[in-house]
Amino acid sequence: MKGPDNHVHWWLGVADLLGHGMQHGAIKLKRAHLSIADESFRMLEAIPVTRPVSRVVRVCHHSISHISYSSVELAGHAVALLAAAAAARGVVDGEHGCNMNDS
Amino acid sequence: MMSVLSAGKIQQHISAIASGFLGDWLEARGNGLAVPMRMFIDGQPLDVANPTVDAPGSTLCLSIHGLMELDSVWDFPGQAHEHYGTRLAEAAGDTTALKLRFNSGRPIYRNGQDLADLLEQLVMHWPVPVKRLILLGHSMGGLLIRSACHCGATRQHGWISVQLDCVYIGAPHDGSWLAIGAHKVADRLNQVPRDYLKVMGEVIDLRSEGIRNLSRGEVFEPGQDEQPLLPQARHYVISGLLARKAEHPVNALFGDALVHESSARGEHRPGWVLNGIANFPGVDHLRLAHHPLVCGQLQEWLV
Repeated sequence: MKGPDNHVHWWLGVADLLGHGMQHGAIKLKRAHLSIADESFRMLEAIPVTRPVSRVVRVCHHSISHISYSSVELAGHAVALLAAAAAARGVVDGEHGCNMNDS
Repeated sequence: MMSVLSAGKIQQHISAIASGFLGDWLEARGNGLAVPMRMFIDGQPLDVANPTVDAPGSTLCLSIHGLMELDSVWDFPGQAHEHYGTRLAEAAGDTTALKLRFNSGRPIYRNGQDLADLLEQLVMHWPVPVKRLILLGHSMGGLLIRSACHCGATRQHGWISVQLDCVYIGAPHDGSWLAIGAHKVADRLNQVPRDYLKVMGEVIDLRSEGIRNLSRGEVFEPGQDEQPLLPQARHYVISGLLARKAEHPVNALFGDALVHESSARGEHRPGWVLNGIANFPGVDHLRLAHHPLVCGQLQEWLV
């Protein structure tokens, strides 16, 4: 092992963590975003003049948000899945003889 | 003087922080960031089953770090591998200084069990008979000592019967105000009927078992009764305070920044008999692990 770049298992661990961070971060951010947005939409809903338009805008806003956050969530899930699979394969193949945390 | 961190050191610090926050989860996933429990001598990993040491002493001094820390927290600023253990070894002679590195996010009782087993192996395979064992624990490391002592006594380990000195340095025996505060804030936010506030609560709540144990100073297996300090060992407590003046209100509010003086002394733990208590106003939580005044106190007690 000549440098930190060779510690594949460690980097796969980082990728796994970041992937999970992306996935769960997107879920939580979506919940926070939509619930904050709902506070405004509730107020607009209470006003008769803005009610019809606000309903349409709310549906559009929530749909676009769902698609955007779900894409990030899916990408994070894929990264975590790939990293975990690669780490498991590496352990089976015995590629990682040196642990970054041991030095 | 600016210290230069190598890429390897940065990676180790990232591992230590990630392990502190999510160590139990990382371990369960077999994630490469999870720090395995290892002993170190002069910065090199030590094989406890086959320890090869130049001049093995009959006294072993093991330094155990705290939450999200590395064993390097013990090193005096600008002096790599110079720490309380090496100073005690110089002063007392016939002493070998060791350091422990572990995944601080795991439940404390599980780390305690592993530490007890590791000490048993070490004492069994040490090249000369071990007569004395000094355990220095900073912050969570102090709780780990109590857990390991209890586990070692239960499993009738040999290392329990040697002369044992346990030093708890800034250890939150009654919990850390920060961990307790985080727990309370998360609870409050989770009760509010607003999803964005619940999300904030969930994010604060996203912490390892090790941190949860810190909030109440839990060191034993869940469901187990409070155990007394190991009676045959000598126990010492060191605490710090943020402000130099002991009566300063900042000290009453924050203690050494993370741990109150009363918690470091285990004032709510029943039946504790301590062989020495020292308080260092003006020395914060982190500096307790590498401060000349603390070093002097340790030499006074242990040499």
